Amino acid sequence: MSAFLARNRLIVLAYAGMVVLLLVTALFSPGFLSVSNMRSTVVLAAFAGIVALGQTFVIIGGGIDLSVPWVLNSAAIVMALLCGGQDLPLVWVMPLLLAGGAFIGLINGVGVAQFGVPPIIMTLATNVILQGLILVLTGGSPTPSAPALIQYLSVGRIGAFPVIALIWLALTLVATLLLSKAAFGRHLYALGTSATVAEFSGVPTARTTILTYVISGLTAAFAGMLLTGYSGQAYLGMGDAYLFTSIAAVAIGGASILGGSGHYLGTVAGAMVLTILTGLLPALNLSSGALLIVYGAVILLTVSIGSETFAGLGGKMRRKEG
Amino acid sequence: MAIAEQPVEMAQRPAEMKSAKPGIDWRGRALDRAPFLVACLMLALIVAIYGSLQSGVFSLDELNLDTAAALTLMLAATGQTIVLVRGGIDLSIGGMISLGTVIAATRFTDDPSTVALWALAILALGFLIGALNGLLISLLKLQPFLVTLATWSILNGVAMIILPTDGGSVPGWWVSFGYAQLFGLTSPVWMLLALLLFWWWFRATRVGITIQATGSNEKSAFLSGVSITGVNVITYGLSGLFAAGAALFLTTQTGAGSPTIGKDYILPSVAAAVIGGVSLFGGRGHLAGTLIGAFVLTLIGNLVFVLHVSSYWQPVASGVILLLSVLASSVAEKAARGRVQ
Repeated sequence: MSAFLARNRLIVLAYAGMVVLLLVTALFSPGFLSVSNMRSTVVLAAFAGIVALGQTFVIIGGGIDLSVPWVLNSAAIVMALLCGGQDLPLVWVMPLLLAGGAFIGLINGVGVAQFGVPPIIMTLATNVILQGLILVLTGGSPTPSAPALIQYLSVGRIGAFPVIALIWLALTLVATLLLSKAAFGRHLYALGTSATVAEFSGVPTARTTILTYVISGLTAAFAGMLLTGYSGQAYLGMGDAYLFTSIAAVAIGGASILGGSGHYLGTVAGAMVLTILTGLLPALNLSSGALLIVYGAVILLTVSIGSETFAGLGGKMRRKEG
Repeated sequence: MAIAEQPVEMAQRPAEMKSAKPGIDWRGRALDRAPFLVACLMLALIVAIYGSLQSGVFSLDELNLDTAAALTLMLAATGQTIVLVRGGIDLSIGGMISLGTVIAATRFTDDPSTVALWALAILALGFLIGALNGLLISLLKLQPFLVTLATWSILNGVAMIILPTDGGSVPGWWVSFGYAQLFGLTSPVWMLLALLLFWWWFRATRVGITIQATGSNEKSAFLSGVSITGVNVITYGLSGLFAAGAALFLTTQTGAGSPTIGKDYILPSVAAAVIGGVSLFGGRGHLAGTLIGAFVLTLIGNLVFVLHVSSYWQPVASGVILLLSVLASSVAEKAARGRVQ
């Protein structure tokens, strides 16, 4: 047990922080721990958590994905356009858009792994290109409302549980199995720790890198479709907040931005912490400006706690020189 | 623009030194500068297309206009270039630019001495906040990406508390300062020249050389007695200072403050530097390239306009150009490495 604690200190800390935050929030706003409020907190956290799933894989592999905002937004808008509010087209639209998200991830991954483009630049470029294409496609006008089935997935309930919470739970299980049990997970940690060593140890580094970006494209596209259901409509700019949130959730969850460490279970706590904070501030009568300050402080605090363990010389990109 | 010897870089490549014959290795130099040359070529191409579709492009008026449009990005990208040459990245400039514009828009009065005082205060604040970034990165051994992501959020929050929505105002004479002319050139063009002069001076100073050396190889810089903390404080301090300068110039263009405008300059500042051939791995790059990159990104907007296509194509074009230039650098770097081995 103590070995488990030592190895996963940062993840345990993230959950401890989450619980403390819950209690503090409950102190200031008594209704916060109510079932209905917890339910809406988990639903909101699920969107951030699903986007951050792919981001976690990419960051563990030593990269970063800045293309999530417009992969998310593109999936949302194209889904709304193709479905026109009907459920039936979802049968082919949903697989198509998941494949589309995976394809963008593939482009990112190939650019990073095969052409040696720094991840920041590669994913930044695909992000702005997607943004422009979607703007051209829609002409900047709003899109039809979300199909009922998607609305059910994001705001519906099975018994006491929100459907999206169950989806999130299932995805968490899959991610945990991939990271902890599959060969892919071992390759990923090796790659993130040292790409050179991994390469010489026979790890298929290019394939592993590409896969992380494909996963990130998949989760961003999926989250985009679900988010359309939540807001009832797809709109331009709906993904912008998720760039910061997804990276912050991974960082708060204890992963090193240098790669090689962290776990999706930590990211889940990170997504919860960020969402609970948005609930805490209205209770304290603080503005959205104050929320940003608290976000920044929490990120600084958590990465400082992690720094003794994962301190390294040089920047994220320097590691690639190996 | 002087892109002369790079003693630091040469020292890093003993193999190259050994194989170097007496005389100048022109091919090696060309490869080293390939990204910069590609950027120049892109700019020339864009200007040529723009000039053939629009009359009066090759005039001082056009130069004045385009420089005014590009200068905020150029100032922000100057700080970013220094940080990138150091081997880091600064995302907090977005927060600093927002904060600078809202302080200016809420505190500037018609009284010039008040304005001068607050302008100096904003510049000092920029340097101090940047220096704080550098301290945090060094003392806590944190990643620049995460530290500056956090301080970006904090600064943005402070800006939103000072001025929740776009607004405020700066005096009319401050705005006209952005269009003041001397010898037919407006103040933005003079500031552009000043930036080039600054870099020409700065990169040869002790501090400039140390920053580049640290970006090339942090370990050997440290072993040579360089204070990494000192380098970080100065590097990020300068980045904050230039971000504050960008904020001040931006208020002459918009006449108001905005708590959210800064985020539009974070990634473009990195993109401008990368298009201009600055390496994200540290140690390599020149401000001339960055400024050309900023011109490229700005002129794409003009080009989209004269081509009569939807302005929404602008981000697509800038993304494609960014990819092309980074692929060019990567190919050149591979060729250079192949030559050394």
